[in-house]
Amino acid sequence: MNQATSNVTEGYIPNLKPKRKNRIKEGILDRSLSVLNIALLFALVLIIVVPLLSYFSLAFSDPYFNDEITIFPTHLSTKAFEYILVGGQSKVFWRSFFNSIIITVVVTVVSNLVEALAAYPLSKPDCPFRGGIMMYFIITMLFSAGIIPCYLLMHQMKLLNTIWSVILISISNVGNLLLFKTFFEGVSMDIQEAAKIDGASDFQMFFRIMVPMALPVFGSCCFFTIVGMWNGYGSAMMFIESSAQDAYPLAYYIYLLLAQASLDKTDDYVMMAAHNIEAAAMLLSIIPILCIYPFVIRYIKGGIQIGSVKG
Amino acid sequence: MKNKQTPMKDNSFKTSPKLGEKNGYWKTQGRRLVKHRRILPFLIPAALFTLIFSYIPMLGVSFAFKDGFNLMRGDVMWNMSHFGWTFKNFINIFYSDKFLKALGNTLLINVLKLAICFPLSIILALQLAELKNQGLAKLVLIIVCIPNFLSWVIVISIWNGVLHPDTGFIGKLFFPGRVIMGEDNLFKIFVILLNIWKGIGWGSIIYYAAITSIDKSYYEAATIDGANKLQKAWKLTIPAIMPTIALMLVMQFSGMMAAGFEQIYTMMRANPNLEDTQITIDTYIYDISVVHRTDIPFATALGVFNGLVALLLMVAGNKITTKTLHRSLW
Repeated sequence: MNQATSNVTEGYIPNLKPKRKNRIKEGILDRSLSVLNIALLFALVLIIVVPLLSYFSLAFSDPYFNDEITIFPTHLSTKAFEYILVGGQSKVFWRSFFNSIIITVVVTVVSNLVEALAAYPLSKPDCPFRGGIMMYFIITMLFSAGIIPCYLLMHQMKLLNTIWSVILISISNVGNLLLFKTFFEGVSMDIQEAAKIDGASDFQMFFRIMVPMALPVFGSCCFFTIVGMWNGYGSAMMFIESSAQDAYPLAYYIYLLLAQASLDKTDDYVMMAAHNIEAAAMLLSIIPILCIYPFVIRYIKGGIQIGSVKG
Repeated sequence: MKNKQTPMKDNSFKTSPKLGEKNGYWKTQGRRLVKHRRILPFLIPAALFTLIFSYIPMLGVSFAFKDGFNLMRGDVMWNMSHFGWTFKNFINIFYSDKFLKALGNTLLINVLKLAICFPLSIILALQLAELKNQGLAKLVLIIVCIPNFLSWVIVISIWNGVLHPDTGFIGKLFFPGRVIMGEDNLFKIFVILLNIWKGIGWGSIIYYAAITSIDKSYYEAATIDGANKLQKAWKLTIPAIMPTIALMLVMQFSGMMAAGFEQIYTMMRANPNLEDTQITIDTYIYDISVVHRTDIPFATALGVFNGLVALLLMVAGNKITTKTLHRSLW
């Protein structure tokens, strides 16, 4: 018995020794990889952060000293913000800011409500003509006729150069419909039947049972709608001419600022500080996005599910 | 179709599957219609929006087969009977040098995106998962996701500013006297670089989530067998997240006909000398139809052609994912 155990240990020790050596050797490779890894990530963070800081320093800088900026402004000035908020550009800026708020709020509320409503009957396994109805929605995701028919439709409806063209074209969102449908399908039948027995009508069932349960899905759908509507200006480029100042969404206004430098060319300060004014307008336009960025942080911290489930 | 009716409760379908099928189908649908009559109206708003803003424009496809429509003359959409039917708009597409140029640019940009942007997100996810301190990894992720939430015009202005030869700190140091974002042969490189800068963090999230959900005991076993980190990443992590990679790859592939309209058009407007050589299909259609309003039927034909190819790619992509990954794209 004794002999047997000693044999085992004897056989075991020589096996272990070379392994330890191996480990130390690979440890060097692995450790250098770790160092490289951290260095690369650090470089990436710098590449992301430094241009952001450097560019937005322009907004706070005196235009005479623009070329001294590396990361932070050397001579502080708030004139660019004044020009945007209360000066020559204030009318267009505030108008487009509120246009963007209206567009974002209306699209977010209406689109998600409409798609969730439609997803509810479709989530029933015995919904009549389910496949056909799904096909009706999915076809629009797969094929679009291009921008000209949409442009002509808006032309006929006399909606060109108004924010309503941008709003109406963005409401249908089949991707979100599919997300809601997948979620509703997962809600257990027991809860729905219990509510039915308690006398809930179909409307109550939807608004009091299904919507509260789907709040996380609503949250992320709304978040992506908000970001998309606030930052997007492709449809505004199609439907809103640069002469229709009353209907600019904010991102489109900034695009025109960059593309045309549509500033008062007789004002010396404005001519000199064009870049500072642009930077200030952009910084102001990011503020709403920064306000909802904590959602992204929670999204990253809490493990991510939506991205892979979509579709 | 997915909703093939399965007869419920009894086993009668085993004995006579064909006999009662058609009759039974309408009967079941009718019964279901009655059962769900109260919630079916929930579909109406979404169906209406889809009808008006997706299906009615599809009727506009007929423009592509018409000749001589002129918006500037005041022709209206519904009243098109006096224009002759023709197929020449579609034939003209392939004789248009500008279109061929645009097609080449679009495909090249997408191939570059697939070859460069796509793997970089995976590499970033691998790097983040490799960190010992996962709190730090999430902090890095939170920072590198920021550009994804800026609009394209801001991203382009930032880099235009930073690379500016007089005022930008990178431009002053490395490229004095050159507006490098306005140089023709560097344009596509900048399209890709800006795509990386904007999208790398957000793109890596999905892979990061997939990697962190891999069972840790595989890695312990690999460590005991003496695998180093590179081997573990290549032989273990990559195969484990292969389904996610394949899905994203197919999705990218399906979007091959669009090259990011907002980004490319804004980059062109920021440096107007690029407009002729760097057109993509999107920007070409936009230029003819909205900016110049010249040849509406031709532009519609272009849009329809583009949409059809995109549809083909989507359907092919869906076939691939359902065959290999057993999951549908939609």
